[in-house]
Amino acid sequence: MVFNERDTDALRAALQEAVVKCSERCLYQSAKWAAELLTSIPPSEDKNKTEPEDSQMTEVPNEGLPPIVVSGNVDPEEAMLEAKEINQYLLAKSFFDCREYDRCAAVFLPDTLLSGILSTTASNNTQNASTPREKGKAKEAPGQRSGIVPPAMPKLSQKSLFLALYAKFMSGEKKKDEDSEMVMGPHDVGTTVNKQLIVISRFLENWFGERSSESGEIAGSQGWLEYLRGMVLAKDKSEDEAMRWLVRSINLYPMNWGCWLEMTSLISRLEDLNRVAQDLPQNIMSYIFHLHTSLELYQSTTSLSNSLDQLLEIFPTSPFLLTCLALLAYHMKDLEVADQHFSNLLALHPHRIDSLDHYSNILYVLNLQPKLSFLAHLCSTTDKFRPESCVVIGNYYSLLSAHEKAVQYFRRALTLDRSCLSAWTLMGHEYVELKNTHAAIESYRRAVDVNRRDYRAWYGLGQTYEVLEMHAYALWYYKRAAGLRPWDAKMWMAVGSCLQKMGRNLEGIKALKRALIAESYYDAGVGSSFGSGVRDRGGTMDPEILLQIAGMYEGLEDEAEAAAYMEMCVAQEEGSNDNLEGSMINIHADSQSSDDESRPVAGRSGVESGTGVTAATSKARMWLAKHAMRTEDYTRAMQLATELCQDGVEVEEAKALVREVRVRLEVGGLSP
Amino acid sequence: MPRFLTPTKIGLLLLIDLYMQGAVPNSSSIPILSFLVRQLLPNFTNRRTRASPIESPIESLHFILDLGSFEALLLAHPALVPGRTLWDQFLKMLWSIDSLNALHGFFATRANLLANTAEENRMLVEMGIPRPPVGMLFLSRSSPFGSFARESRLEFYRLRFDDSLALWVSFVEWRQATKGYYLERNGSLGRWIGDRSLADGEADWGTDATEMLRITAYGIDGFGKIEGGRVSTGDIGKLLQFQVEQMQKFGDRVPLAMKDSFKGILENSLVVSSLTHYLKFLDAWRAGDYPTSFDNLHRYFDYTKRNRRRFFYQYALMNLAVLQADFGCLDEALATMIETISTARENQDMVCLNFALSWLYHFGKAHPNLVHGTETSNITDYEREGLMFLRTKAKETGTWTLWSSSLLSEAKLVLSNGESVSSAFENIQRSSQLVFGKGMKNMVGPQMAMTSSIWGRLGVSLLSRQYCQIFLSCHARDAVFDDLMRFSCRMAHLLTENGHYDDGIRGLEKLNKNSLRSWKANQHWQIYRGALRLKVELRRDNLENADRLLQQLLQFKGAGSDPDLTFEINILHVDYLTRRTDLGRALAKIDGMASALQEEGGDINPRLRLLTVKALLHSESGRPQKGFSLAVRAANMAWSARLLPALWAAMGAIANALNSLSEFQAASSILVAVIPRAYECEDCGMIAKLYSFLVDSHMGIAGQASSDSVQREKHLSKSLDYLNRAFEEYSAVEDIRGQSEIMAKEAILAIFLGDDLFANLYDFEDELFTNLC
Repeated sequence: MVFNERDTDALRAALQEAVVKCSERCLYQSAKWAAELLTSIPPSEDKNKTEPEDSQMTEVPNEGLPPIVVSGNVDPEEAMLEAKEINQYLLAKSFFDCREYDRCAAVFLPDTLLSGILSTTASNNTQNASTPREKGKAKEAPGQRSGIVPPAMPKLSQKSLFLALYAKFMSGEKKKDEDSEMVMGPHDVGTTVNKQLIVISRFLENWFGERSSESGEIAGSQGWLEYLRGMVLAKDKSEDEAMRWLVRSINLYPMNWGCWLEMTSLISRLEDLNRVAQDLPQNIMSYIFHLHTSLELYQSTTSLSNSLDQLLEIFPTSPFLLTCLALLAYHMKDLEVADQHFSNLLALHPHRIDSLDHYSNILYVLNLQPKLSFLAHLCSTTDKFRPESCVVIGNYYSLLSAHEKAVQYFRRALTLDRSCLSAWTLMGHEYVELKNTHAAIESYRRAVDVNRRDYRAWYGLGQTYEVLEMHAYALWYYKRAAGLRPWDAKMWMAVGSCLQKMGRNLEGIKALKRALIAESYYDAGVGSSFGSGVRDRGGTMDPEILLQIAGMYEGLEDEAEAAAYMEMCVAQEEGSNDNLEGSMINIHADSQSSDDESRPVAGRSGVESGTGVTAATSKARMWLAKHAMRTEDYTRAMQLATELCQDGVEVEEAKALVREVRVRLEVGGLSP
Repeated sequence: MPRFLTPTKIGLLLLIDLYMQGAVPNSSSIPILSFLVRQLLPNFTNRRTRASPIESPIESLHFILDLGSFEALLLAHPALVPGRTLWDQFLKMLWSIDSLNALHGFFATRANLLANTAEENRMLVEMGIPRPPVGMLFLSRSSPFGSFARESRLEFYRLRFDDSLALWVSFVEWRQATKGYYLERNGSLGRWIGDRSLADGEADWGTDATEMLRITAYGIDGFGKIEGGRVSTGDIGKLLQFQVEQMQKFGDRVPLAMKDSFKGILENSLVVSSLTHYLKFLDAWRAGDYPTSFDNLHRYFDYTKRNRRRFFYQYALMNLAVLQADFGCLDEALATMIETISTARENQDMVCLNFALSWLYHFGKAHPNLVHGTETSNITDYEREGLMFLRTKAKETGTWTLWSSSLLSEAKLVLSNGESVSSAFENIQRSSQLVFGKGMKNMVGPQMAMTSSIWGRLGVSLLSRQYCQIFLSCHARDAVFDDLMRFSCRMAHLLTENGHYDDGIRGLEKLNKNSLRSWKANQHWQIYRGALRLKVELRRDNLENADRLLQQLLQFKGAGSDPDLTFEINILHVDYLTRRTDLGRALAKIDGMASALQEEGGDINPRLRLLTVKALLHSESGRPQKGFSLAVRAANMAWSARLLPALWAAMGAIANALNSLSEFQAASSILVAVIPRAYECEDCGMIAKLYSFLVDSHMGIAGQASSDSVQREKHLSKSLDYLNRAFEEYSAVEDIRGQSEIMAKEAILAIFLGDDLFANLYDFEDELFTNLC
């Protein structure tokens, strides 16, 4: 993607226009996003060189500046309508800015008019007879209004119409917030809905019905109303339909970031993204969208980082893209780098709270208390009533093990914004810490309901059920989590352990082997796609997993395989530079492979050092020693037992073993 | 505004930590420990020291402690490390709290200072953790330090994040003053000292960005900082309680020096304690700003009602009644108090009920016409019954104050009715036993006042004065200001009777200026001083000045004024009129006063004095016989009531009347008997008068004797002798009129004695005096 000067100028103009248009329609967040992006384009150097600042000030041509108050419209008919409505529009806009949504909507769509239109829609529907209930309703309506001519759709510009309907939508959202009960309170079942949705969708249906030609084309539409319709449909859970309208909107007006965000929230799988991508226009926005959505789907591939780099060339200081950079590093489990990126972002934009909750998660995992406390300090001074701030503070308290207070802050975050996903999940974690499993399950469940892509919530659900010893449930949730993050060893380990507990050793082994692969995949760094090149990967394997696999093989009474894995486990102590043992495992591995992909191989690079003696390796050594005893390989048993004594773990048992071996050896020495 | 924790408290915790670490050398531990204790237990030293003005209450309270106080304390003590002071070590600990996180850590580790409970010890042993070494210091959980550490920890845990943040920010600001010193002592520690996150981040961010982040986090220096961060609500609550207690106990107002800072602190506090309104009420009340005080009283009870419910309604009513009485709305006050009594009875609140009843009793004493209406008969019985009731009630409920005050009231009743002195003494003794047995410091004042006044009535001025002196020098610091004032006034009165005007006035001037800001006290003080000056002016015969003073003083009458003082002023008015020789008006005035007293039926003493004054007035008008029966009546009553000063004065009047009846022998024998006893009263004016009467009678005897007889000579020389004594006494009180009268007599005597030159001299001087006047 090479950008020349003219492209940059065009982009700048488009973004300027987008800011104005979005703020005209009171889409504040989209406007903010676009403006942020706009200012992050570096000023073109030629202009600065050739023209001194003063002349630029005086000479700036009028057409170069977008009108700040009201933008023009290319469609002459719309432009005429807008000109006619300008006074009312300004009134409505100020109402919206003052958060008087109903009043704003009533400027263009008085309630009488609205009800008239809706009832006509209903009577139209009688002919279609869509649902029995509507039928019943519709029967009454014509009876009452037989003599009245149905009111015509008001002749409004699309901008005013959008503003009015969006105000309706917002008023519904506000009422919904007001109606909903205390977070996680006894009556908080999360069923409050936006009551205006049905009104808006009826109206839009009508509007589009009037405009569309037979081929389904909608004449003169500019994309905003489609966005609104998509949003309403998405709230109504008819996701495919919503996606269709959103895509349509994007094709008509690509600079509306809010629309892209809606689409992101509708996409829950990579396949969905790829499918949608075909219908999208090929421009920079869809590029950014692709990047953002992939990050939301926890992708972390090289191509992603490449495209991010390219975008950063155009927008070098964009806080949004810098956040993406940090998140990418986070998904690649490169926490230090992510911390670095976020820290830079903080220095550049000290008042920006957006997405700092992710930063706090990173700092939490890194256990950096002072930094987290400073971050909380900053957020709290900037705005303590932002959900992000509350999440940051909650995380800090969680790190201080003040779990009640953490819950309190997550709860506050949720009161501020019920769709705050991370707060639900984190609150679940806190409830687990507080041993309140029911509340934890509910929190996780809410998180999953808000966003089905959140693997942490699925995993948390699994964990909680595992604590409750309901393994079947736990397995189900672990599988969901693993499905979302197939390359994350932790998920597979959880699945494996769960299966083991349910006595399904064979499947468990499979899962754990996947965990081993996933782990080595991460350790080697990201770059190769999943499933290829695994065999060549070096790096140590988690002795815990190896021990567990061995244990399961033992459970399957497959002594040889168990012994092989035990050996492998012990081998992790010295790292992978021991070629001899590595080859030995290879032999074992090749002989009894049942899963073509899951052949872990101890590497031969010799660079990495081993894990040292851990509880797992000691257990493995003990098992091996006993195994050697059983197979009457006394010298090996002797060697292992002495090693155990040296390691200082389970010395007593090891000493007893040594003694036994000596006796056996002596007896053996005498008898043959 | 924080609830409990302030930077100062962190400083105290650090100091405790310093001490616990054993960093404090033995020689320094006592000052440091006493500093800490003074901070943690405010009651430890806040006993009000009215006697020593050097230590102001603000200083001894140490309300808002800045780092300067720590520095002043610690800089003087060397640390165990050579070359360093404890202040250095303290600063090191202070600056080691280098982030919000460190602050959290700091409070979390406060538990380590505490000694383990037995259970914890057992658990530790079970877990195999060794006990701490024997030498280590630990705080016991219930010790002042231990409970302070625990409370701090708990309070910190209860803070919301933004509150803990505010604590941190105010802490950073608080210690900022020591930054220069600390950097100087510890070399190059860099610019971000005290904030590790900024120091760590500088490597990543660069200096400019770090500075910007600092400003984002801490705000621009010197702007938008809330001063209130240094004071906690807990502190304010304590302060308010202290102040209200002071005001109720001593009847003071908020000191001027404190007023502004106090107001600032109260305004900054977000949670306005309802006690603030009460404080305002008290202050306004004392200031005499009654409308404001009504307003604030109602506000206080409106705000407190929420928490305390109806149960405290009677207290509201009681306060209201007292306030109304002060305001002069006597009818309303009476009605309110009666409602108080019924409410208290309903709620079975004995303390309140007793107080209200006793108040009502005193109120009734002060305004008898209001309480009893028409039924004037049986008052004594009624009162006595009331007191008996109160006494038994007090005994039942164990309210010693009420008990002793009812005993004193009974003694007073007995005295003022002119009944048995011994039963009054009995009551006083019983009360005395109670007061000193139960250690009721607040009752010492009334007790001593009663004792002093009974001795005064018995004519032993010396004892009376000594009781005043004892009180003023020993009990003054625990006393209510009103008592203090009462004693000072009495003292001044006694001194002026002896002619020590300057001492008397000085004693009044010595009173606490701050306490005098209380309106009522100030009023009383002003009037009393005015009355004293009036007395002086009258005696010095400056009638113009006296007239001016009288004009002002006579304005003070009516409900709010003290009846004794009013009586005193009226007597002085009579004196003034007599000196002006406006005898008709004087007589009318006396008659008016007498009838008023008769109506009120108060103390017997003023009535007796009136009788005597009237008798003397008659003699002034040249009809001494007319006063004879009055004087006899007065003497009779005074004798039966054992009101000795009044008795001597009455006897003087009788002797005067006898003189006029030419019963010189009888008069002289009466006076000779009376005068030595009258000396005990230490009333120079009265003694001078008695002597002057004695001179008259001797002159009369001399006149009856044959001329040139030894008898006459003897009496004439005696007269001269007595004249000199009378003159001395008059000179002592600077009574010019009396002096000139004596001079005139002496001149006449000189003529008799044939010493013309001497007589001329007297004449001349006499003329001079009259001219002067």
